[in-house]
Amino acid sequence: MDTIVKSVSRLLFPLMLLFGLYLVLHAHLTPGGAFPGGAIIGTAFALLVISYTEQDVEHRLTRSELIDIKSVAGIILIIVIIRMSHLLREEFLNTQTLFSLWSGGFTLLTNVAGSLMIITALVMILYSLVRG
Amino acid sequence: MRFMRLFIIAVFGVLLAVAIGSLPAFGTWGSREVAQYYIENGAYRTGSASIVNAIIWDFRGYDTMGEETVLFTAALGVFLIMRRKQYGYYRKVRK
Repeated sequence: MDTIVKSVSRLLFPLMLLFGLYLVLHAHLTPGGAFPGGAIIGTAFALLVISYTEQDVEHRLTRSELIDIKSVAGIILIIVIIRMSHLLREEFLNTQTLFSLWSGGFTLLTNVAGSLMIITALVMILYSLVRG
Repeated sequence: MRFMRLFIIAVFGVLLAVAIGSLPAFGTWGSREVAQYYIENGAYRTGSASIVNAIIWDFRGYDTMGEETVLFTAALGVFLIMRRKQYGYYRKVRK
């Protein structure tokens, strides 16, 4: 791709990561959540893949790493949702002060795990479609 | 066999008609107990100030887990179908 496109996407990539992380980590306080936050972070990777070559991105984040991250996030999600949210709801991360960052019980953990699922799904599909 | 298919379709059609008949009228909503419960107790039961987040990830967590399963399966399916033949895992397995 063009030098201008490369420079601008390199400049925009950390900002998009930051905005996505903000949406994910503040999902229990403000509008947002794991789905839009994960989609924004996945779009940041899509921007890099399109402006640079796919090998450059895959050199940093390989496909087997993607599958590992996705599996770990899925296991965390299943364990938390099935068991813990019924057993330890009052104790874990729940300071009972609304609007503080460490409130929200298990929803913070499930948001992070769910956003990891979305990011890895988007990047996996992107890798497969760009270069088989 | 053809009558069997027609019979099954007719049964589901009747069930659908009955179900539509018991829906609340357009512009109103029926039982609002669950919605009212979420609004009143959502923040204190889950500790999450955003009620959408509380419903999606806590009250209806099983539903969201199913969504993530669908996403996982879709991504794996694309990953497996669109792969190159001599790449990564596949090459290791074939060797």
